Amino acid sequence: MPTPLTEEFLDTPIGKIQMFRGGAGAPLVYLHSAGGETQLDVLDDLADSFDVLVPMFPGFGESEGIEHIDGMEDAVFHLLDMWALLELDAPLVVGLSLGAWIAAELATRYPDHVGELVLINPVGLYIEGAPIQEMFGRSPAELAEMLFVDQSHPIAALMHSFDAFTGDVGKQTEIPLEIVIPMWKALGATARLGWDPYLHNPKLRARLRRITAPTLVIAGARDGLVPIEHARTYAAEIPEAQLEVIEDGAHWVPFEQPGTVATLIREFEAR
Amino acid sequence: MRFFTFHLMPYTQLAPSYEGPAWVTVPNALYDPRLGHELYNRYLDELVYAEELGFDGVCINEHHQNAYGNMPSPNLMAAVLARQTSNVKIAVVGNALPLYDPPTRVAEEFAMIDVISNGRLIAGMVVGGGPEYYSFSVNPAQARERFQEAHDLILKAWTEPGPFEWVSKHYRIRYVNPWPRPLQQPHPEVWIPGAGSVETMEFVARHRYAYMGIPYFHLDVFKRYFSMFRDACQAEGYDADPMQQGWLLPIYVAETDDQARREYEEHLWYFVKRLLPGITIQPPGYTSVRSLTNILKAAGTFMLNVDTWDEIVEGRYAIVGSPETVTEQLVDALGQLGTGNLLGLFQLGSLPGELTRKNMALFADQVIPKLRAEFPDGTSVLRPDAKVA
Repeated sequence: MPTPLTEEFLDTPIGKIQMFRGGAGAPLVYLHSAGGETQLDVLDDLADSFDVLVPMFPGFGESEGIEHIDGMEDAVFHLLDMWALLELDAPLVVGLSLGAWIAAELATRYPDHVGELVLINPVGLYIEGAPIQEMFGRSPAELAEMLFVDQSHPIAALMHSFDAFTGDVGKQTEIPLEIVIPMWKALGATARLGWDPYLHNPKLRARLRRITAPTLVIAGARDGLVPIEHARTYAAEIPEAQLEVIEDGAHWVPFEQPGTVATLIREFEAR
Repeated sequence: MRFFTFHLMPYTQLAPSYEGPAWVTVPNALYDPRLGHELYNRYLDELVYAEELGFDGVCINEHHQNAYGNMPSPNLMAAVLARQTSNVKIAVVGNALPLYDPPTRVAEEFAMIDVISNGRLIAGMVVGGGPEYYSFSVNPAQARERFQEAHDLILKAWTEPGPFEWVSKHYRIRYVNPWPRPLQQPHPEVWIPGAGSVETMEFVARHRYAYMGIPYFHLDVFKRYFSMFRDACQAEGYDADPMQQGWLLPIYVAETDDQARREYEEHLWYFVKRLLPGITIQPPGYTSVRSLTNILKAAGTFMLNVDTWDEIVEGRYAIVGSPETVTEQLVDALGQLGTGNLLGLFQLGSLPGELTRKNMALFADQVIPKLRAEFPDGTSVLRPDAKVA
């Protein structure tokens, strides 16, 4: 039965970190996407079988310390600090998009600190002929089209409802600050990691061979942001990785298909 | 008061069939180099003409990959002007510091202009517009850090003997030792344009530089910004000098009010509807949450949202009319703002050369003398009854 996660705060060397945690079992660390999502049905579902930990990355939500993060090296060191504070050795790490990229950076540099790895629609690679689409400067409605199959999903519908905010501050008259400011912070934090090079590390692909954790790559076939070649490449380069394609899934497939994603993770875990 | 002619050097014939933004992604196949040749030379002549007319200075600025202003390198234009003029101040407003790596390039080029022009440079330093961060792929989330470090490096390069080693987060240079050094000592006057960022105002106040209000907002927005700037100076323990503040706006003077509107209006709308779209895009992390909140307060009053002539007049987005009307409206507005520098865009959008020159001449002949008399040097420009909106 689903277990709601509860909020806690950790004191890390770069500042206070907001985290959601719940359930019991082996630790499962979920690394969120550029959306900064923490309240997901799939996580409550997995908390039935795992000790689910969902840290907010610096710059997202109420987490501090983004001024100390200039790229993936800093992100990885931050995770090592988190692992130490939480007394994690080599947990199951599940990441979506940006979070999957961070997870892959950790797993290539410190393979012993990742027990198992689940990458959902990961960014992080540059693939000739299959570019990651532009996510910055998009209106929420344009992003919703890339992220969701079903535009009537409550989050997609919300994004369509404040279509006015594109980041073009000269154009709007009515802007809901309570929605815009968290989004502004999340995109700013994402830019620190992925503005240039755009959402990738040119060295990552050749390092994927270093990953020792059993790896599951999940791809939404209808992802409008990241072409499926990215998931295929991850799966091909990481030794013995397994690829699962969700045919009617888009970029934010954990939002739309929590049951399918939870089942894939449980089956992978029980393999 | 000091009077400046500011030129954007816009592209005047953006294809009518093109409906997208004039920035970042506007296809450069639409740029005709033959027309560009005419425009650059005409625009430089207009700035040289400003000196003949008795303006105190000319202003140019930096923008990239757009149709709004074709000056990716304002320093090239300043170099031409340094040779073609002999008295006016040459205000480069400014160099977008984070786009220069290493930023000692700015220290060098500005010093060259200052030395060639016999000390007439005004050194403008800007963070750079949002679109430039897309065009350069420089990380907007590091824009403020880079600007701060680059500024500190340039000022040190100008004021302390070299060689020295520079070490900051983004810039590490083992030998900083620029030749030439600026002619003006300890360094050229520094102007910083701002569009409502609180951090920028505090920075300008702390260094006792001049704050230039970035244009195209309703007059009430400028009243609020200059009031905030004066507060920032107060917080540093001094009263802002009028010469530390500058207001930039489009101005058009003709023989009568009716004639002015008739000659000017289509060119103004070309500017607003064709060249402005895309200018205010804010890339992620470019602005702090504190400043974003302040900037968003003004969002609806940006000129892009203006559709009628009455709104242009009411908000003083542009001041247009007979010499009497323009004088009267400027006396009123300057008294409310308190700015000692008036930066006029006398060419705007597709305004042709002949009308631009007539505009400049009428302004110089019939408006400047009255404004000089109204606001004598050394006195406050701010009227005691000015209220912040």
